[in-house]
Amino acid sequence: MGYKTEWFRGIFPALVTPFTRDDRLDEAAFRALIRHVLPHVDGVVPCGTTGEFSYMTLEERKRLVEICLDEVNGRVPVLAGTGAPSTRDTIALTQHARDAGATGALVVAPYFLKPSFNEVYDHYRALDALGFPIVLYNIPQCAGTHFRWWTAEGMALDFENVVGIKDSSGDLPFMEALFEKVKGRIGIFVGHDEVVQAALAAGADGAILASANLIPDIWQAVYQATLAGDLATAQEWQQKVQKLVRIVVQCSSTQAVKEGLRMMGLTMSDSRHPIMPGGGFRREDYEELRMQLEALGKIPARTVTYDLGTQQVQTAVAATPHTPDVVSGWTLRVGEGFAGPPFQELAHIDLLMGRKDGPVGRAIERSLAGWGEARGLQVIRQRPLTLLVPTVTVRTARQRRLLYEHAAEGINLAIQANIDSGFLPEAILDDLALIVNVFVHPAASIAKRIVFNNYKAGIQAIRKAIESRPTLDELFNEKVAARHPFRYAP
Amino acid sequence: MRKPELSLHGVFPALVTPFERKTEALDEDALRRLIRHVLPYVDGVVTSGTTGEFPYLSRAEQRRMVEIAREEVGDRLVIAGCGASGTAQAIALAADAAEAGADAILVVTPFFLHPSDKGIYQHYVDITTHVDIPLILYNIPQVVDAYLPRTVVQDLADLPNVVAMKDSSGNLTYTMEVLEYAGDRIDLLIGHDEVVVPALAGGVTGMILASAQVYPEIWQQVLRLMDEGRIAEARALQRQVQKLSRIFCQYGGGVAVKAALNMMGVQVGVPRSPLKAVGGALIHETRAEIQLELEKLGKIAAEDEPFAYPDGPLASRFGDLELSEADIRAHGLRLGSGSAGEGLNRVQLDLIGGRKDSPLGDAYALQLTYPLHGREALTTILEPGLTVQPSTLLLPTLPQKNLRQANMIYGPTQSALGRAIVDALEAGTIPAQAASDEVLIVLATVHPKAIDRHALYQSVYQAARAAIAQAFGA
Repeated sequence: MGYKTEWFRGIFPALVTPFTRDDRLDEAAFRALIRHVLPHVDGVVPCGTTGEFSYMTLEERKRLVEICLDEVNGRVPVLAGTGAPSTRDTIALTQHARDAGATGALVVAPYFLKPSFNEVYDHYRALDALGFPIVLYNIPQCAGTHFRWWTAEGMALDFENVVGIKDSSGDLPFMEALFEKVKGRIGIFVGHDEVVQAALAAGADGAILASANLIPDIWQAVYQATLAGDLATAQEWQQKVQKLVRIVVQCSSTQAVKEGLRMMGLTMSDSRHPIMPGGGFRREDYEELRMQLEALGKIPARTVTYDLGTQQVQTAVAATPHTPDVVSGWTLRVGEGFAGPPFQELAHIDLLMGRKDGPVGRAIERSLAGWGEARGLQVIRQRPLTLLVPTVTVRTARQRRLLYEHAAEGINLAIQANIDSGFLPEAILDDLALIVNVFVHPAASIAKRIVFNNYKAGIQAIRKAIESRPTLDELFNEKVAARHPFRYAP
Repeated sequence: MRKPELSLHGVFPALVTPFERKTEALDEDALRRLIRHVLPYVDGVVTSGTTGEFPYLSRAEQRRMVEIAREEVGDRLVIAGCGASGTAQAIALAADAAEAGADAILVVTPFFLHPSDKGIYQHYVDITTHVDIPLILYNIPQVVDAYLPRTVVQDLADLPNVVAMKDSSGNLTYTMEVLEYAGDRIDLLIGHDEVVVPALAGGVTGMILASAQVYPEIWQQVLRLMDEGRIAEARALQRQVQKLSRIFCQYGGGVAVKAALNMMGVQVGVPRSPLKAVGGALIHETRAEIQLELEKLGKIAAEDEPFAYPDGPLASRFGDLELSEADIRAHGLRLGSGSAGEGLNRVQLDLIGGRKDSPLGDAYALQLTYPLHGREALTTILEPGLTVQPSTLLLPTLPQKNLRQANMIYGPTQSALGRAIVDALEAGTIPAQAASDEVLIVLATVHPKAIDRHALYQSVYQAARAAIAQAFGA
């Protein structure tokens, strides 16, 4: 029978793996990441799913475990991801982890060729024979097969060295079955960031999480509150980070975490291909992730100078590496914002920003004096002067309401949010004009979603206009893979 | 075991159920007109199928439709849909259908509460026990959310009144498996419009199709050609209706079929709520696509309007932007033009570029305050979120009359132009400084009937590279 160990409890981040520009392991950045999380965690996992283990050579994986052990230096347990499709590779990696001094091995169910259960059983039996603590790992989203409770129970009871299971399925009925069958006999960890608090409250011993790279302190607070029986506090934190972790879980976790760490000021590469920026982790997810990290106070402030020619304004903003130190060229700045779901309520904003005495201000003046009323233009704000331009013909009272009340409300909130966060400093509001082209789908129905999506798209469009995003590098990197949704026939 | 004599070797449209526009009441006259419209080309009709919105029909309405069909079709077959979630309702519908003169009933897998295989088997046994009428099993996992299990079909095939199965899954591995295990005792009918030819080649007997009320003559011809072993010709016909068939199967079902029939002048009214005639499962863009496909099939007359690609001196083509030849010269604005492609795919792009603080900056801003005139300017992107630099407006020179036409601009034209600009920037044709200091406006003339998005993308890309090269003096 397996056993329960003292070290397998608490919060373990599934560390991302930084790579250098020439695509080797970035040892320095990896060590810095470990130092970033270490004060808040009970253990670390190198070479997990979030660590892109399946994109690394066996040599790289071994090396990464060694670096991790060296940097951690015994302060917390190191649970090395050693899973591979074949038993042969899994044994080699697990042996290495054992001999290098890791605390245990996290072993994903063998994937891709979909071995039957008795083959999976023998796979773990072979690992058990190494005499090294094994944590079973269920992640059907990637592995394609979902452990059944009797699988987990069978292996937990039959094998001497199984000390735990990590369940990333998010399937709480499955987790409850694990509690029923093996609680107290082995450690049970949750691996799905969206249900951490629920799983801990229900009896999980800890959590291995992608988002614990970003917010290890918050997960530690959730864990401590749960241990102390303070469910209200634990719930409050979970709800506060719910959107952040949903983005991480559902949108290419590895790239999402890496982008988030960069926003927070760490040195971090993109994921290895075929994961890429603007892919599963979409551009709108980037903006949303940024807003969430900003709301949690995770993005450090920096002073940026806006050079309007006539005046120079300094403003402190939560800046990312993309935010320039000096923003000049206020004649005409262009920004685009895009937010969903759902399809029919999605917001798409084309925004122009510039000085009132430049092309933007002049265009507003002329259009209002000319075709403004006939074409449904509306000034929705004076500071900054903001012109709403509908891009779809309004045919019904409902469309009118959705556009002039709800979309306009969303855009107004977005402008206010950028004023409050310093991106639109008070000192420039009298000199600034915005033209906002707004799309509301003719079949849209959910009013609040129109508000929210236009709010998000509005924040993005304004920031992208100020920061000149996407950058030329982003355009060059993604131009080949770009996939315009309307480019294809139904 | 003796099976009833019933020839299912043929084409059977799964009729839509016409409803009146305001009241959503069954429109009997429209139903008769619809049947008369298809009758010359079909071997029978199917009432209250999935395309006929059967879950929204009362028992009395379903019976009435069988009576009407019986009166209209003469000696051809009337197949009555008798689908229900519970067995008792299905039996009642079957009894009605038999009394009203149906030749066979079509009974879908019991849905919603997901009965076990035993329950599904018993459902059909009970129906055949209570009502003596030939029965066609009906597998449509897209709406039932479960397959009619092959092992159940195999056993049901032994029941005397079970004569056939309609398979709408489109999953040919399943179809072949059913043929393997039950094909000796029952006929298979293909119910998925996108795979008719492969299914016939695999051994199915006939077809019950939504699209068989829009182009029944094509399916009749396909059936004959396959009988004669003329597979290449059958394939070509299938290919001809592939996109419309896909739209009917995947992008709107009966709602899309109703839209098509209404366009063709066979008035069948609206779907019942909660379905919407357009703007729900059938989106506006798809409806516009249906129209174009029907034009191609000659089902509706194409609207041909004369148009011209702009000519005359390049500098004279930007009057819409309020930029005269003198302005262009005075401010040193860049000009370039390119055209590429043949026929419907021919594209002409006229490009103007210049500093943001020149009159072009004003023209740029002004365009984005002037919406809803049919030729709205679009910001050029590679995909949503990837706005190109230098900032570029794409301005169609011809009015965009419908969403399908507009889609050719949003999609292929916009993304190809975007790619050409970024490629030119990376190649140095457009200097990096221009990315931040300048803007471009591109007047695009795209054939109003362009439909091949792939070819259009290629044309736009070529034309754009040529226009950029000229404008930036490469």
